Amino acid sequence: MIKTPSVVTYALSQCVKCLKCVKACPTQALSRVKGRITVDQNRCINCGRCISTCHSKGIVAMGSTLDDIENYDYTVCMIPSALSSSCSSLQEVEELFYSIKNLGFDEVVDLSPYEGQIMKETQLINEEFGSYKVIASMCPVVNRLIETTYPMLLDNLTPLDFPSEVAAKCIRKRLADKGRVGIFNCCECEAKLALAKYPYGNFSYETDHALSIMYIFPKIQKHKGEGRIPVHLCREGLQVCNPYAMVQKEDTLIADGFEKVSNVLSLEEFGQLNIYSLLYLYPCFNGCIGGHLLFGNSFLKKNNIYKLLRQGSSEPAEIDSDLLYSETINKTSEDSRTFKEKVEFFAKVNEQLDKLPGYDCSACGLQTCRIMAEEIAKGNKKVDDCIIIRSKKEKSE
Amino acid sequence: MATVLHKEFIIERDDYDNAGNASSRIKQTLAQLGVPSPILRRIAVAAYEAEINMIIHAWGGKITVDVDDTGKIRIEFRDPGPGIPDLSKALTPGWSTASPKARELGFGAGMGLPNIKRVSDDFDIKSSPEGTTLTLGFNAL
Repeated sequence: MIKTPSVVTYALSQCVKCLKCVKACPTQALSRVKGRITVDQNRCINCGRCISTCHSKGIVAMGSTLDDIENYDYTVCMIPSALSSSCSSLQEVEELFYSIKNLGFDEVVDLSPYEGQIMKETQLINEEFGSYKVIASMCPVVNRLIETTYPMLLDNLTPLDFPSEVAAKCIRKRLADKGRVGIFNCCECEAKLALAKYPYGNFSYETDHALSIMYIFPKIQKHKGEGRIPVHLCREGLQVCNPYAMVQKEDTLIADGFEKVSNVLSLEEFGQLNIYSLLYLYPCFNGCIGGHLLFGNSFLKKNNIYKLLRQGSSEPAEIDSDLLYSETINKTSEDSRTFKEKVEFFAKVNEQLDKLPGYDCSACGLQTCRIMAEEIAKGNKKVDDCIIIRSKKEKSE
Repeated sequence: MATVLHKEFIIERDDYDNAGNASSRIKQTLAQLGVPSPILRRIAVAAYEAEINMIIHAWGGKITVDVDDTGKIRIEFRDPGPGIPDLSKALTPGWSTASPKARELGFGAGMGLPNIKRVSDDFDIKSSPEGTTLTLGFNAL
């Protein structure tokens, strides 16, 4: 069982209670209860849309801190291609790796050969299965989105583990004799913060700590230009973080941006994408280089990737298949209610929905009137909890 | 037998802007009702295909969804014409009236009606120049 709880954290003091986050959530995970925003751990897919719509920084995702380095005998920091994309030349990448190592790590590992190998394996799976639709499982948000919203497509996800997890497993195997090994990952987005033991307590993962790039970036900048570490970037890995660098084939569909990805998934559900056998989906606009925790403009990074591609010199990493393959989805438990119970609940919800104004104003703290109606039907709320109904009642009294 | 859900959707001719909206709402409503996802998938595929047919080939029409308390789902697609000239041909996999250009774009594979028939539990189609009525049945249990 893979547990990926929400990494979205609510910061009370800055919140101006505008409810933008509640409205922005694609899976209705957010609600306001007694004046506080609460996140439903089972619904949140860590897409970060609430965080990017919040203007008051009232809602955040926190990573581990560098203080955690002291708890280990040997520490490794993993650097994804998305972070390398902030450099426009190999020399700058080598300087970046040096300054990250200087933060106190014993070793830095470039993730691009792992990312590249996972893309290669995805293509192999696609070739092997022929016309069977394959959805590349590289972004945890895609997996969680399919789980919560498009469960009909769960069987189409590749059974490959996420790149950072595969790399962490390989690193741990290689360093088995180093004592307590601490593996840190530099994360470009909220979703990747969830793929680590700390700070969120997701103990099913191999990575120990997730660091937000936003948090370490100022510290890296201080040591910039002081030295270099040789880096051999892998072309295929650099391609993976940027949808525009991917090789487009006739039967491959590549989409980025949350709305477009959702649209592709719903077309797939309708059986309208049968001529494509492989889907690469990037919920972040411009792909992983558009991650919320990265610093700078993703269009500049796109150009940087283009430059770095010419300097790529490493082959994709060779990885044992037992480290490569892993279940990355939670099959949501089947609805155990009988059809009669389902019908009764459905009728109850509709009965309540007819009483509600239907503005989906979220003033009650829930995203839509339908969710409110469900809560009333479950007995958790009353019709009077609707602000509009209550104010009408008060006026008439 | 009592009806637990009844919904109607009006489809306008050549209304590409809203193509797929009715199917999306049918899918959403049936998901709210708790129809299991493998069945929902088949309904989604059939409804979308039939809705698009109404927009492209027919002069619009009406979709009616009925669910009764035994779990039988009945979806009727009724259009006012022009009718399908040769039904048996339209039901033959690969037969299509689409232009070569449309085929180049990936449409007109001639699998529309055969696909709908394949995924539905009950399939009935009647067509005359006065209109076509496609009735699909699914079992939600």
